[in-house]
Amino acid sequence: MEEKFAFVENAEQPIAMHPKKFALWLFIVTVVMIFASMTSAYIVRQSEGNWLEFDLPEIFWYTTGVIILSSVTLHWSYLSAKKDELGNLKTGMIITTVLGLTFLVGQWYSWVALVDRDVFFVGNPAGSFLYVFTGLHALHLISGVIFLIIVLISSFKYEVHSKSMDRMEMLVTYWHFLGGLWIYLFMFLLLNH
Amino acid sequence: MATAHTASHSATAHDHHEHEHHDNFITKYIFTQDHKMIGKQFLITGIFWAIIGGLLSVIFRLQLGFPDMQLEFLKPILGGWITAEGKLDPDFYLALVTMHGTIMVFFVLTAGLSGTFSNFLIPLQIGARDMASGFMNMLSYWFFFLSSVIMFVSLFIETGPAAGGWVVYPPLSALEQAIPGSGLGMTLWLIAMTCFIASSLLGGINYITTVINLRTKGMSFSRLPLTIWAFFLTAVIGLLSFPVLFSAALLLVFDRSFGTSFYLSDIYIGGEPLPNTGGSPVLYQHLFWFLGHPEVYIVLLPALGITSEIIATNSRKPIFGYKAMVISMLGITILSFIVWAHHMFVSGMNPFLGSIFMFLTLIIAIPSAVKVFNYLTTLWRGNLIFTPGMLFSIGLVSFFISGGLTGIFLGNSAIDIQLHDTYFVVAHFHLVMGSASFFGLMAGVYHWFPKMFGRMMDARLGYVHFWLTFIGVYMVFFPMHYIGIAGFPRRYYTWTNFEFSNMYTDLNMFVSAAAIVTFAAQLIFLFNFFYSMYRGRVASLNPWRSNTLEWTTPLHPGHGNWPGEIPAVYRWPYDYSKPGAPEDFIPQTVPLSATPESNLPHEQELVKLEKAIIADEETLLVANESKAS
Amino acid sequence: MYGFLIAVGVLLLLSIIWMVYRIQTLVSVVKGSDKKVASGSNKVNAIMFLLFLIGGGALMFWYSIKEFDNYNPPLASEHGAVTDQLFWITMAVTGFIFIVTHILLFWFPYKYRYQENKQAAFYPDNNKLEVIWTVVPAIVLALLVIGGWRAWSDITRPAPENAHIVELMGYQFAWEVRYPGVDNVLGANDFRLTTASNVSGVDFTDKNALDDFSSPVVVIPKGEPVLFRIRARDVLHSVFAPHMRLKMDAVPGMPTKFWFVANKTTEEMRAELNDPEFEFEIACTEICGRGHFSMKRVINVVEPAEYRKWLAEQRPYIVINPALVENLPADVKELADITISEYK
Repeated sequence: MEEKFAFVENAEQPIAMHPKKFALWLFIVTVVMIFASMTSAYIVRQSEGNWLEFDLPEIFWYTTGVIILSSVTLHWSYLSAKKDELGNLKTGMIITTVLGLTFLVGQWYSWVALVDRDVFFVGNPAGSFLYVFTGLHALHLISGVIFLIIVLISSFKYEVHSKSMDRMEMLVTYWHFLGGLWIYLFMFLLLNH
Repeated sequence: MATAHTASHSATAHDHHEHEHHDNFITKYIFTQDHKMIGKQFLITGIFWAIIGGLLSVIFRLQLGFPDMQLEFLKPILGGWITAEGKLDPDFYLALVTMHGTIMVFFVLTAGLSGTFSNFLIPLQIGARDMASGFMNMLSYWFFFLSSVIMFVSLFIETGPAAGGWVVYPPLSALEQAIPGSGLGMTLWLIAMTCFIASSLLGGINYITTVINLRTKGMSFSRLPLTIWAFFLTAVIGLLSFPVLFSAALLLVFDRSFGTSFYLSDIYIGGEPLPNTGGSPVLYQHLFWFLGHPEVYIVLLPALGITSEIIATNSRKPIFGYKAMVISMLGITILSFIVWAHHMFVSGMNPFLGSIFMFLTLIIAIPSAVKVFNYLTTLWRGNLIFTPGMLFSIGLVSFFISGGLTGIFLGNSAIDIQLHDTYFVVAHFHLVMGSASFFGLMAGVYHWFPKMFGRMMDARLGYVHFWLTFIGVYMVFFPMHYIGIAGFPRRYYTWTNFEFSNMYTDLNMFVSAAAIVTFAAQLIFLFNFFYSMYRGRVASLNPWRSNTLEWTTPLHPGHGNWPGEIPAVYRWPYDYSKPGAPEDFIPQTVPLSATPESNLPHEQELVKLEKAIIADEETLLVANESKAS
Repeated sequence: MYGFLIAVGVLLLLSIIWMVYRIQTLVSVVKGSDKKVASGSNKVNAIMFLLFLIGGGALMFWYSIKEFDNYNPPLASEHGAVTDQLFWITMAVTGFIFIVTHILLFWFPYKYRYQENKQAAFYPDNNKLEVIWTVVPAIVLALLVIGGWRAWSDITRPAPENAHIVELMGYQFAWEVRYPGVDNVLGANDFRLTTASNVSGVDFTDKNALDDFSSPVVVIPKGEPVLFRIRARDVLHSVFAPHMRLKMDAVPGMPTKFWFVANKTTEEMRAELNDPEFEFEIACTEICGRGHFSMKRVINVVEPAEYRKWLAEQRPYIVINPALVENLPADVKELADITISEYK
């Protein structure tokens, strides 16, 4: 009996992708749809007029730098793991986590900067949209940081190495996606604010 | 949450299987990860919601058909919503309409239909042990359950459930001052819908992953049963449109609870002006209908898939134009995303946009027409067996035609000016989306009941149920076309205030009576369903003599579906009445090389290829046997 | 007591039906007929489809013809003639398809019901047929759409310069009707200025507002273009004038409009329908709360001469309620006082 059920795990996989990774891609699609709808709502609303004009906080430039850097360090740890250089892996993971948290703190200060220039969450939709974009992105980034910490812990337990890369690969995909998403949002805001 | 889970699950996937053999009640029936049981959970919850949704409609039909009726007897249930004069409260009337719509569209026809059959059939028909992630699948059900509980609770709170129509357009849905249902009731509605979206997305991700990754050997996309195509495309639509509903709802939450102005502007209500400026109610409508229109196809496509399968099986004929069916479903999937604004011709949006959406909308009628003609040709020169499932499928085609044709009126913006938000629209979508999908659900239940519970439902009760429901549905919704052409607006508590709509008390009474009879006829189904579950005749392994894979499993398939190896697939699922074949069906598992007498010329070519696969299979089998011994 | 007896009766009846049903099932098991592919009920169902086709079709034709004048609302606008024509053309096309497909759908089950000695035709595809029934609907639909598009562009094009302006403002739960007065220009408005005596929130510092007046009935001239300026001050509403084939949402914060030409006076319509009570009406068709079903206004279509006479008799807001202009800046106040004195 036991033997017969063993097939559950090695079912046919016509395309060479881990189902969980594929599911992650689908999840990314849903996130893309959320932000696509939000940004199109922004454009539709903006075209109707009565739109508050203000400058974006400069701190966005720094946070953008931070998140790009974190993608680089994460990719470095990913390559290290692939080569089984576990020391570099751990260093890279720690740096990435710190950078991720720095980004979040930076985003918080961007809100402070917005309040300083009298752009509030409650008020003209131009400001509200900005808060919603950054807030929603930050929420996803928090989920990314949690994911980071989980993988970080398992890398300290030596569970991440060249033979066990699934989780690491998924983390890299997700983290790069979050970085790309932020760059898209920032570019979008630069062009349309 | 999906990501956090995917990370941890791969580690647990291996050991969870060890527990499969000492299932206790909780892991078998409640927190189960078996797709078949989850499908049944969706079905039972869906049936529960269908009863509630139906009851709500009976209450408001009483008000519409018999406006002078004393409703005091409802006081024990509805309490304060029955006024001192024994009448239904107008606010509660709107709440009833709203909840009827929400429940039927989302909880019955999305979760109850797609949730049930996608879960139940995808692994069985593509030859997989289970869904890609049983845990996510379980989460999907429990998010739905949580959503159900919240929505159910909202029915009983003091200010009543949400009452702004199932589309919950702001500002009505955003302002508590505007209607009592927009208070706590609306908050609960939004929370419930958020859980529902999470459930749909978890389910959808799983369906897509499973169909793409876990097909058995030989099950190419061109050999998938049309049911699977339908479920797959439905999941794709859901994956792309539900996040947008989430965005719309999120902004609505901010407007309601935090005072932002995404949708609110220039409002004077309750004797004072509100501070909100700069919002746009039409923005919400755009976001909502970007989900709302695809939602129609989320509801309808699974029903069409189920019907294709059942009509082919019971006509003993291949479905006519398999490729055309798949292409038209693909066409519907893509087009469904670019027609949303036909719900908004008179919303005040730019009339030029209206013209564009009119053109796009009428294009979507073409794939629908192709499907109808293909169904008709499948029946033509068939050898039709009228199982209850078949009857409901034919009924579905009839509703699909009747309701689809009225869509051509409404998709035409010039004609829509007069018909928008009248009973013509009510008739249209209740036929094409409501009744057609409901009949798809019923057809599916009758057809796959033997696989779900190992017993047959009683056919004669099924016939009675079908004819009462089929005639009943037409009696309810056909007269509504006349009422709509006359201009009766939707969501009216009573029509007697207006000269143009104070006739037709007789017709409304007739509709209400028909609705009550049709609702009562569903009790026959309920009885049949629950009685047959325990006492029905034990089913044979392949009661409908069907080709698809699910009928090759044991009568009560365990978790893992096939006790031995998963059978490989050698042909498409519609080899019915093939000339030369001894039987009028050839299951997908029969190799072409075993049926030289009935092979078509191009299939002879494939026989060679197939031999290699079979040889492969045998070595694997031998290897397994030696491992087992 | 009666209730109890009825309950017992119903229970008895149900149990008898149940017994008959069980016996039948057992008999069919003994006879082995439940093992057959298709039992006798197959033919019954096939015949039922035919009966449904004939019965349902007869009912539909009978009712559609008998009630034609009842469900067809009388028409009183120029563009309505076009949309009605489109409606009936579409009805003819779809009606034809509806009848043909349903005859096939219900006749096939009878014709091709299961027979043991017969075999179904193996007929998996035919590309020519598929192309035909893709292309033909596409052409038919294209023709319908082009008709609709031309009508739609015509209806939604900007109103003529000389259109008489009427403002309809929806609120819970009524319509406020405001006329621009002699200058045919509506005064500005601001929702913050709304009070019990200034329902529309008219801004009287705008001198165009000084001759604005309100009316309990929408009075419009026959044969001349009329532009409805539509807005809402609390939630969504929708102006629906069924006899004018007119509908447009009223949106808070986003004024909308609809222009049309009425081509029958109320009196003419009364004579035509032989109904001295007849009125053109406006209703609300966008769910707006408790009183959604009661937002009624009457449209009175009159001859142009009569309309001008009526217009001259109307008294502006500020004449009826001079308190409205009491706190205005001096220059506007002066103008307002002149207007008021003119009407005295």
